Amino acid sequence: MHPLDRLFEKSSRSLAQRTSRRSFIAVLGQALTGSILLPLLPIDRANRAEARTSPPDSADAHQAPSDDPQSCEYWKYCAIDGFLCSCCGGSSHTCPPGTAMSTIAWIGTCHNPGDGRDYILSYNDCCGKASCGNCSCNRNEREMPLYRLSRNNDVNWCIANTESDYHCTVSLILGVTGS
Amino acid sequence: MSRWPWAHLALAAGVGVSAIALASPAQDYALQCMGCHGATAEGVPGKVPGLAHTLVQFMRSEAGRSYVLRVPGASNSMLSDAQLAEVLNWIAGHFGGDQPAALVSPFTKQEVAAIRHTPMASVQATRREVVKQLAATGSAPSEDY
Repeated sequence: MHPLDRLFEKSSRSLAQRTSRRSFIAVLGQALTGSILLPLLPIDRANRAEARTSPPDSADAHQAPSDDPQSCEYWKYCAIDGFLCSCCGGSSHTCPPGTAMSTIAWIGTCHNPGDGRDYILSYNDCCGKASCGNCSCNRNEREMPLYRLSRNNDVNWCIANTESDYHCTVSLILGVTGS
Repeated sequence: MSRWPWAHLALAAGVGVSAIALASPAQDYALQCMGCHGATAEGVPGKVPGLAHTLVQFMRSEAGRSYVLRVPGASNSMLSDAQLAEVLNWIAGHFGGDQPAALVSPFTKQEVAAIRHTPMASVQATRREVVKQLAATGSAPSEDY
């Protein structure tokens, strides 16, 4: 017998004497179960999802106003919470193809430093596709707690649409405040 | 033609429009009601009750007026009693359709103050009862919602 064959025979017999088929199956089962359950652990995926979004991202940091509709600091986004449709195939006021604008919306005011006027704005969500993931913004000027539902920007405004999946958010100018 | 031409102008043009300045009660409607009831006060079928045409119908009876003033959107609104009366009368006038608001009494600050904070145990049950009463004497809103 070839020395290599003898070596493998010896190690195999040794292994067989020390272990059982049942223990092997048990270990294999634990490994498989563990690998399946690992993704179910309560990991904050939302955080990771925001971390991989493309810039510009923003928390509540006060930064200089921007003229760029793809920036969280754009004046029309003073209370926006979500992904900018201008980074998702739409614009600051139009939904991307394949999505529908929410039938209900958050309505409030934003100050435009460009002309010094306060505008009445509607934040509508674009619905019907999975979250866009680009340009995550979270600004909360004059936002109110959840018990003031119509002024809370954590609400998914797609809830009244047939397709309630949230994709991104647009900001529409409705008028200028008169007083 | 839309009663809210300013809204369509603004929506169509996006940024940089010479948006029309709004004053109360049109501004109060935009900021406090329009998010859910919509620019033409038609609501969302099956989700949000409309105000167009139906508000005037509710205003025909005492029970209907009481219902309108105690629904959550009205009773919990950030508007004062006077502002709520004013915006409701404005809605009835602008979105009344073939039910002219002139045929019903406008809300007053005193009426709003006396009624709006009386709790309503079940909005749906109250609505059904009010609609049944209205239907017996003329046109009535839908029982839904």
